[in-house]
Parts: sequence; C-alpha cells; structure tokens
Amino acid sequence: MTATTHSAKAAKAGAGRRAAKPGRSNATKRANRYGWAFMAPFAILFVFVFILPIIWAIYSSFFRQVATGGGAYGGGELVNQFVGVENFIYVITSQDFWAGVGRVVVYTVIQVPIMIIIALVLAMIIDSLVVKHIGGFRLGYFLPYAIPGMVASIIWVYLYNGQISPLVKGLAALGVNVDFFNDNIILGSMANITTWTFTGYNMIIFLAALQAIPHDLYEAARIDGANGWQIATKIKLPNVRSAALLAMLLSIVGTIQLFNEPQIMQTSDPGISKSYTPMMMAMNTSQGTITPSGDGPANAIAIVMALIAGILAMIYAFAERKVNQE
Amino acid sequence: MVSNRKRFMAGLATISALCIALAGCGGESSGGDAASDGPIEITYMHRLPDSDGMVLVNDIVARWNEEHPDIHVTATKFDGNAADMKQKLERDVKSGNAPDLAQMGYSEIPEVYVKDMLMDVTEYASQYEDDFASGPYSLMQVDGKTFGLPQDTGPLVYFYNKAEFDSLGISVPQTKDELIAAAKTAAAQGKYIMSYQADEVGNMFSGLAGASGGWYSVEDGEWVVDTETAGSAAVADVYQQLLDAGAATTNPRWDPSFDASLQDGSLIGTIAAAWEAPLFIDSSGGTGSGDWQVAQIGDWFENDGKTGPDGGSGVVVLKGCEHPAEAMEFLDWFNTQVADLVSQGLVVAASTEPATTPDSWAEFFGGQDVMAEFATANENMGDFTYMPGYSAVDAAMKETAAKAVDGSATVADIFSVAQTTSVDALKNLNLPVKE
Repeated sequence: MTATTHSAKAAKAGAGRRAAKPGRSNATKRANRYGWAFMAPFAILFVFVFILPIIWAIYSSFFRQVATGGGAYGGGELVNQFVGVENFIYVITSQDFWAGVGRVVVYTVIQVPIMIIIALVLAMIIDSLVVKHIGGFRLGYFLPYAIPGMVASIIWVYLYNGQISPLVKGLAALGVNVDFFNDNIILGSMANITTWTFTGYNMIIFLAALQAIPHDLYEAARIDGANGWQIATKIKLPNVRSAALLAMLLSIVGTIQLFNEPQIMQTSDPGISKSYTPMMMAMNTSQGTITPSGDGPANAIAIVMALIAGILAMIYAFAERKVNQE
Repeated sequence: MVSNRKRFMAGLATISALCIALAGCGGESSGGDAASDGPIEITYMHRLPDSDGMVLVNDIVARWNEEHPDIHVTATKFDGNAADMKQKLERDVKSGNAPDLAQMGYSEIPEVYVKDMLMDVTEYASQYEDDFASGPYSLMQVDGKTFGLPQDTGPLVYFYNKAEFDSLGISVPQTKDELIAAAKTAAAQGKYIMSYQADEVGNMFSGLAGASGGWYSVEDGEWVVDTETAGSAAVADVYQQLLDAGAATTNPRWDPSFDASLQDGSLIGTIAAAWEAPLFIDSSGGTGSGDWQVAQIGDWFENDGKTGPDGGSGVVVLKGCEHPAEAMEFLDWFNTQVADLVSQGLVVAASTEPATTPDSWAEFFGGQDVMAEFATANENMGDFTYMPGYSAVDAAMKETAAKAVDGSATVADIFSVAQTTSVDALKNLNLPVKE
C-alpha cells in the first residue's frame, strides 16, 4: 500500500506542476492522454516482458547457486550466494566464451555482407521493371522468412546429411564430395541457412526504400542522358543507403545472437559444443549442461554478449556515418 | 483534478487486477487449498510418449480417479525434452506452484536433490519397496533418503539381425576378441555389427563402464570421482579398435542418418537400452522385421556377465507437495499398472507381475519373448550412482566423442574429459571432492 500512496502523491505533485504551467490547453492535455492510452497496451507489456526481466537478469547475474549445507549433497539445499562480479570474471576469462564470440564475429563478417548484397541486387532487379509480376517474385523471395528458424534449420539438416540428402548425392554425382558437417565448413553451412532465410526479408526493406524514390528523379536523369546502369548506381544506390544501414544493423544484431542453426545441427553433429555460440553457452549454462551453471553465470554471459553486440553495432554506425560524410 | 483522480483510480484498478492475476497463478498449485469437504488434489507431470495405440496416461489416471473418489489426480504431459522439464520444474518449485509428482531420470535425481527440489518421502516409501526391483528402487534414494518410486529401467542389451549374422557366418560374440574379429568380418562385407553413437556416450558409455564398477562414490561426506576405471579403459579400447578398423557406424543415434543405416540394412547389430525397443522398430522402418533378436551383451568390456544402466526414470515427489502420503499411494498404484506402462514402451521397474511382450515387438524380434530378455538384463545390472551436475559431464563427453570420429581425439579422451568435468562441476556447486 505504501507504494500506491507514494505514487498517488507523486501524481498529485506532478499534476500541480503541470497545472502551474501556463499556456497548455486542455486539448493538448487530452491529446497526450489519448497518446498514452494508445501506448498503454504496448508499454505495459514492454515493461513486463522486457524491462523487468532485464533488470532481474542484471540483478541475478551477481549471484551464484552453491551448496552450503556440507556433506556430499550439501544437505540437499542450494543457496543463492552473492558473488559480486565473479560471474563476469568467469565469462571474461572463459576461453570457450571468446571462442564462441570469435565464431559469431567471423560468421557476421562473412554472412551479413553476402546476404545484404544479394538482397540489394534482388531488390534492384525487381524494382527495375525488368521483371513483370513483381508480387510473385516478392512473395517467392520472402517466403523462406515465413518459415520459423528452427524448422528451416531442420530442413537444411536433412539436406546436409551425407547419407540421405539429395543435395549431397547430386553434388557427389558431379564429382564434388562435400561434407557439410566438416569442422572447417560447418560455419558456412550455417551461414547458408541464415542467408536463405533472411535475404528475402532484407530485400523487402530495400524494395520499400527503392519504391519510395520519386520517379521524377529517373525522368530527369534520362533527359540528362543517363542510362539504366547510371540510374541504378547514381540515384538508386545512394537513396537506399539508410535502408542499407538499417538492414545491416538488424543483421549484425541478429547474427551475433546465432542460436537456431548450431542448436539444431548439434543433433547431427554432437561435435558442435554446448558453447559453440555465446547464446548457446548462455542457454546451456542455465540448463546445467555447462559448469558453472545456473541463472547467475548464464545471465552474466547474456549481459556481456549484449554489451559486445551494442559496441559492434555502434562501431558500425559510426564508421558508416564517417564514410557518408566523406 | 477530476481527471487526475480518475487516472489514479484507473492505475489502482490495473494494479489490483494484476495482483488478482498473479494470485491466480499461485492458486493453481497442487492440492494446497483442498478443503476437508472436497477430494484431495494431486497433480502429476510426465513426459511419457502417449502415442497412438498406447494406453494414454490420462486414461490410466481416470481409472484411478473413478476408484478413489477421495484422491483426485490430474496428469499433465510435458511436451519437451528432459532438460527443459527439469528447468521448468526448478522454477515451479521456487515459485511454489510445482506439481506434486514429476517424472525424473535416475541420473538427474542427485542433481535436483542438491537443488532442493525434492521432498523426503522415506517414511511413506518403505511400505511400497517390495513392489519394485531393488536396483531401480535404490536409484530413487540419495543421501540416505527416498524421494519417490521407480517407473522404468534401461539395462543395456544387444540388438542384432540374426538372419544377416547367419549369412555372414557369425554369431553373437562372447568375448572382446570375438567381437572385434566378427565386426571386421562384417565390415569387409559392408555390414556393421556395432555402432558408435557420439550423442549417447554420456548414458551408454557410463553404463557400459559402470557394468564393472561405478564412477562416483561418497566417502566421509566427500565425493570420490574416478571415471577412468578398468571398465572405462575396456570400453575405450574396444571402440577405438572398432573405429580404427572402420568396423562400426559413426552416425549419432538421434540423427536421421542412424535410421538410414538401419533402413538400408548396413547396420545389423548395436548395443541399445531396453527402452529403445519401440523406437528402434520405428527407426528401422520395418527393415529386417522378424529377423532381429535381443541378446545380452557379451563379456566385451571386462563386465563379467554384468550390464549397466542407460536411462530409465522414476517419479519423484516435489517440494511443496501438501499430501505426500496420498501422492505416494497413487504413485505406487500408477507405477504398478504394468500392462498399461508396457504399452507406453516402458520396461517397468515394478516387480508385482511379469510384463508380457507387446505383439508388435514380438513380431519385429522374431517372436522372441523380448520382455523376458530385458528382465534378465535388469537382474544383471550393476549399480551406478550418478553425481549432482552430471548433465555437464554428459555434454562434455558427447563433444569429445564426436572428435574421436574424425581422429582429433581418442575414445579414451572421453573418460578423461569426464573426470575433469565431474570434478569441476562438483566444485562449482561447492560440494567437497576428495582428490
């Protein structure tokens, strides 16, 4: 109850301040109120399923579950012990963690540009009016995105499987023997699944940006004697730059969290470790298949990874801005 | 001002609505609020298959409810794997709305006991002890306390295709040397009588090694860990020789390629847990149906006629259960419904009546009384105690096992990794380890 009376006071105090401010019409106030009312369904859920869990995750990352009762089983009781930054020290000094970070960084550096370029090219082709029936192509490319990531991974695991895959058998018939689960190739096999799934999604972003370009620009360019190639490179490309930034950022954030593909492929290749990517490491730590286990270390992994992803995204955004300015 | 008060009231209403919602979650819990006038409520969470043609858990439970109007049981199936269920139950116990009874693998019981999830039901359990085989019953005991009753067991046995064996002129090997010689003979014809399953080593290799002696014991309140026993060395030696000679398949058990190797008839023999029988029949897609047989594993791993456990589970009473006596009464009844549980593909731990082999199994295994064979294996099963935190050991073993396939590690490495991971896991739980 103290909390509610407190907030009531705060509300009154706030109201007093607002009332004292002159020049704000009732209409504005009403508009604000409607604004918040429309926001409410989102805001309430956002607080409960996003903000509160994050706060809880940060809080619990300073604890570790240990037995204190003595004896071989610790008296059958685990205590949530405050361990300061011990979990973070564990994460930062863990070789497995940095190996996982290394994998996702390599993965991102290779996979994201390839996917973005393919998406951009596809969007340009569709936008260039070379093809008729845009709708069909747009849907076709976008369709893989409609398949849940887990399902997509399962499909590809079958296609990669050396004993039952028509793909592997077909390549073998052409004299190309590929082992998609080879330690040196497996990251590429995963990148292929991601590319297949998300290229269409990114293409839609680009296509929207392309179609928002006013067509007068093309007309003006044609009058000035520009050909199709020049229009594409001099008008279209610069105009989709902000869309490209958005697509790159979303992709970087997404690939850093690489999880579905390795998790599913583990069924076929138990050599994919439980800490193959930082996100897998976090989940397996919370499930107890990596020691030290429990929510504390798992949350520490997730938080450190969020910071790394944030830093990488910021570096990219700054670099992009620098390039744009020059 | 009116609008502000309205807003405050609205906020208050929202908060109270949320409180009600949250309280609602809590109220769902077990039989907490069973008043004296209504029946006692017991909740039970399982992950039995409940597939077509099986006697559904809900039907079994419905029969109980009919016969026992004063104890009402609600069963829920958990759709997910064992690790997910364990994690969910951990949260549920903490927040006080866990079911009263839950299925738990034998290897997980020490772990969840350390996590303070189990209720000590020793005083109620002893009266039911005679209804179950002693080995599985002892797996429900940790630290001198009993936490529930066993449901099924997974002794390791040998599945083989007798017709293929006959045409190759080999029989089920009895010694290590015979095994390796026979495997090489078969491999020369493109057939395999052993499979190396990297994703199953945590259960299977510990079981095979455990046939001749356990890995974990407690001395003076401290853990003694030795995963590199003579049994482990024997397992490593056999599989290393098979891998080196290319005389075993290397498909992971739960990968479609394993099923493919059965379906194309190249895999004609493998060590398997007894509970695998119905799954194995599915995996084979009917290839060799009627030709397969079940045999005891030979003396291949210095196991001296013994076999080891691979999986199997019991039902535990979780912390927060309000009516442990009634929960145990139901549990004893449920776990002794032998025919119904057999229909779920279980090799039951109950010893109240002999289990009969389901027709579909008999058909696949050439009319053999498979259940009797499993029962023999059950009696030959060595004791194996798991340590808390074994899931991490299991995971580390799998990863190393996969490396042994391409030669970047040896089979023996699996057991040395098990040793270091075991000690680490115990230490990270702050449990004492004798070194």
